[in-house]
Amino acid sequence: MHLHKYEKIWLIFGIGSLALFLVVLGFGAFWKGTHPQSHGATIDPENIEAHDAFQSENLGLTKVDEDKYIVNIAASAFNYDMGVDEDGNPVKKITIPKGSTVLFQITTKDVVHGFNVSGTNVNMMVEPGYISRMETVMKKPGEYTVVCNEYCGVGHHLMYATVEVTE
Amino acid sequence: MRQLNDKKINEEQQSQEPNLKGTLISVVLLGLFIIIAWGSIFYIFMDR
Repeated sequence: MHLHKYEKIWLIFGIGSLALFLVVLGFGAFWKGTHPQSHGATIDPENIEAHDAFQSENLGLTKVDEDKYIVNIAASAFNYDMGVDEDGNPVKKITIPKGSTVLFQITTKDVVHGFNVSGTNVNMMVEPGYISRMETVMKKPGEYTVVCNEYCGVGHHLMYATVEVTE
Repeated sequence: MRQLNDKKINEEQQSQEPNLKGTLISVVLLGLFIIIAWGSIFYIFMDR
């Protein structure tokens, strides 16, 4: 088969990029352990309290180690339940020092919700029956709004919270 | 006779290499666009 010189150039380039992207994908999946956020961890959506992380006293921000935090959230239409503060008011804002590692663990009691800490890579789908987990390092100080980015019903736009990363 | 001549010219044209310079330039431009777009999005992903 006769190929024009130029055709050879762009075929080699195209096939080369395809191979490169497959290597990048494989590196992420098998070496760095990238996986979907709801990684097969299941939970009974009717009874999420049966899971330690989603008992009402464990919701919200917990410091587990120096610079290491866990945030447990029970999402439902149209609220992110992050526990209550000392006065018994629902927590709507969590504060984390810059540079700390945070593990977000979220599940939903009802329909599919989203969990997006806008301006960061924390972006998950929260499906009933599954626990969505994502660990991240909060590198940049600032106030980030958490939004639900999966339409969950008439109050969808009212579903938000705030994460503040302090210096 | 004229038809015969036309046929000859056609055959000659076909045996020549087609000029693909413009195609090469377009393909390179498209390739650069894809690489720059991918690279900048990957930069945003790594940066935040």
